[in-house]
Amino acid sequence: MLKKINIKATDDLPGVVFDPKKNFFMIYGRILPEDGRIFFNPLLEWIGEYVKEPNEYTEMHFKLDYYNSSTARMLTKLIVELEKIITTGNKVKVVWEYSGDDEVIKERGEELKSISYLPFELRAV
Amino acid sequence: MTNDTVHKFFDTLKDDSISFAYRGSFSNSVLAMATELIKNNMEEGHAKLRNKLSFLMIESFQNIARYADSSEVSEADENSDFFMTRNIGNTFYVISANLISNDKVSSLHDRLEKVNTLDKKELNNLYREVLTNKQINQKGGAGLGFIEMVRKTEGKLPFDIIKIDDEYSMFFMQIELKNPSVESDSEPAKLEDAKHIQKLVADNNILMMHKGSFTQEAVGPVLRMVEDNMNNMKLKIQKKIYHFLVEILQNISKHSYILNNDREGIFLIGFKNGEFHIGTGNYIENKKIPNFKGQLDQVNSLNNDELNDLYRKYLREGRDTESGSAGLGLIDLARETEDKISYSFTPVTDNYSFFSLTVKF
Repeated sequence: MLKKINIKATDDLPGVVFDPKKNFFMIYGRILPEDGRIFFNPLLEWIGEYVKEPNEYTEMHFKLDYYNSSTARMLTKLIVELEKIITTGNKVKVVWEYSGDDEVIKERGEELKSISYLPFELRAV
Repeated sequence: MTNDTVHKFFDTLKDDSISFAYRGSFSNSVLAMATELIKNNMEEGHAKLRNKLSFLMIESFQNIARYADSSEVSEADENSDFFMTRNIGNTFYVISANLISNDKVSSLHDRLEKVNTLDKKELNNLYREVLTNKQINQKGGAGLGFIEMVRKTEGKLPFDIIKIDDEYSMFFMQIELKNPSVESDSEPAKLEDAKHIQKLVADNNILMMHKGSFTQEAVGPVLRMVEDNMNNMKLKIQKKIYHFLVEILQNISKHSYILNNDREGIFLIGFKNGEFHIGTGNYIENKKIPNFKGQLDQVNSLNNDELNDLYRKYLREGRDTESGSAGLGLIDLARETEDKISYSFTPVTDNYSFFSLTVKF
């Protein structure tokens, strides 16, 4: 099994927990890097490995306050990578959490949902 | 706010290596961020001044918060409180402008005239006298602060008090902190310059202005300050302003022309007739202009549905960076603005031009 990822959130980078053993996957906080690739490429590599032998059911949680456009592309890449799980016969779902009064993050979630082939739940928390 | 406004500010502040101005209500969070911003942006040669400068900024800022008689004046008023810090050559300037009621003018005037004539020893004596004698303090409305400012800067405190109407006067003051270990051939800034800038800020309904080096590190405190300062606004507006700034400032930090080892730029936030205006300006290499202009014209030619489609396409498929097509940041900016993105390029030399951009929402 892949080693779990546990990154603490900072002012401009998100917290990340990818824990296959506990079957818990979440990216949270604020994401503002000038070049999203530096932070996300290792995560994408990890996911690339994970989708080869995923858990029976994977739920990827996003709980974001804000992210810039360089990150939007990276988040999409991550979601596209997760789509590979479907071909293994396992299940996968995206849960996009937003605080009830945060229309901007809600709209961003709707946008990502519209371009994704995955079950995609928008959840007000 | 137009591109001309941005250009005018950049021009007026052309000798400033750091410049920050703020107009509106004065809270401690704005102060904390302003001091952080200036400290982070100070060149190494001025490192020794850091603590003194923070102290002077705090004194000046709190002087406004404490003593300004502006409770009846709305924020949109041309006379609302003003605070600025700037660095030109080897000198840092801390400028304040605020309304005071006319009955305080003569004692304020006398007090400042007095501290401006005293030598070091006399100042120390006065300081001790004020510390132990409360009466003097109450009379003047401002006591130890001014004495401390003069002691810390070892110079004079240029000030001016201009009558506005029967009730109020505008009180301008400039604290000047010189770094004696740095040589400079720059023309020193005068109080008149500060008054001119205050008028420019007020006339253009500017809430915040920052000129300096726009690196990723420098952008952080700016964003936190804007965020902090917007706490009383609707979350949606707050996020939009924030979003604009992130994209625009990162754009400056990435693509601006490096002149004298610096990615110099300016940004302004204004509020007029219920709309927020954001303007930015920076140098750009001339050979990059045709491509960049093409991108701006592309996003300006699309309607919102087309922008959304393009954005989603690039999200999923990525963009061929050689294609000359606009990136996600610019598309996003275009679909969030009320109108088109307004921009201009003004040639400076054969190598580079001044680029400015304004959006409103």
